[in-house]
Amino acid sequence: MAEFTKNTLQITLRFDQQQKRHYLNGVQTVYHCHHYATLYTQLAIDAGETNLMAECAEDSFYAVFVAHFKQANLQDLAARIDMGCQYYAAIGLGTLALGFVGDNAAQLYSSHSHLEQGWIKKWGQYDRPVNFMGCGYVSALLAAALDQPVRSFNTFEVASIVVGDAQTIFKSFKK
Amino acid sequence: MAIDRKKVIDDMSKIEVLGAANGLIEGFNVFVTQLPTAFWNSFAERLTARSQPDILPEIEYMLTNAAQECGYHTGYGIITSEEWKAIVQPMVTCVEDVLHGAFAVFTAWGWAQTEIVELIPNERMVIRAYNYYEADGARIGKSYKMNAYMIRGVSAAFMALAYSGDYAIDGSKSRDFECEQIKGIECGDDYAEFIVRPAKGENYV
Repeated sequence: MAEFTKNTLQITLRFDQQQKRHYLNGVQTVYHCHHYATLYTQLAIDAGETNLMAECAEDSFYAVFVAHFKQANLQDLAARIDMGCQYYAAIGLGTLALGFVGDNAAQLYSSHSHLEQGWIKKWGQYDRPVNFMGCGYVSALLAAALDQPVRSFNTFEVASIVVGDAQTIFKSFKK
Repeated sequence: MAIDRKKVIDDMSKIEVLGAANGLIEGFNVFVTQLPTAFWNSFAERLTARSQPDILPEIEYMLTNAAQECGYHTGYGIITSEEWKAIVQPMVTCVEDVLHGAFAVFTAWGWAQTEIVELIPNERMVIRAYNYYEADGARIGKSYKMNAYMIRGVSAAFMALAYSGDYAIDGSKSRDFECEQIKGIECGDDYAEFIVRPAKGENYV
């Protein structure tokens, strides 16, 4: 893997006093708790719309990454992936760590997870992975980091905190 | 009303929340995220738009319920937090002040610019929202449906926190009240309006 200079993600938080809305690095954001995230996820499962949830995450984060890479003039693949991992933690989704990233496949690890630890806190363990939001995030990060269009990657979980594994493993491949 | 809304919004909106070393934001007895509003809106909008009419009410109920449980548990975390004790509690003289303060925090957190315009204790509360991210689903024109599921759920939850007695950690009191949206910016109105009443509706969950 190529060596790279680690860039520390710079975070700028702004509250628009007129509109009463929050912005993180220029992106409108909102605070929500694990009850909200887990119940949305349960709804996605019940409605058979887990892919939709992943796509919504992919769309919203792809736009974030493309804009941030441009604004920060990040060209290096490793620096881009590292920024995506730092951003994941900054917004409270948990930890995300590099396994490997190539043009056609990738693997990333998460040892802490808002969604999954929140799910366990609310309902206990589950018999299958539930982090569709995280899958969409990883797909978005890979596509943006590799200068590919959105929906270039499929991501799924091959290990999952919520089913009892020590960490969640996101595995991705190019469509 | 003893609550200084402007001060609460000014002070509470300045609290900066970012993930710790483990990437988790723990506070107010819950895990918190700070995600793009586009994510939450896109899931709710796409899911409801592609739902068949016969199941749409159930989908909308579940979207609202997510916020109702969130509002109940996080709301309790907020009104028992050190931040609340420092900023809001000194202004509180009665339970109605707690509600007014809670909606000021609701505004400060970027959920929606809301305020209580009518309150009959334990019976009826009317909320207005003048700016809220859920209205962004209709950028031009008028939506065929009202979209503010999050405001509905949280408003009903706050009423339960105020009037349903001691906090129930299992959330069993979170649906003691229900909230109806009767106006919406997404539908062409100047503001959104919500009525909270004791629950009598069917519970799908």
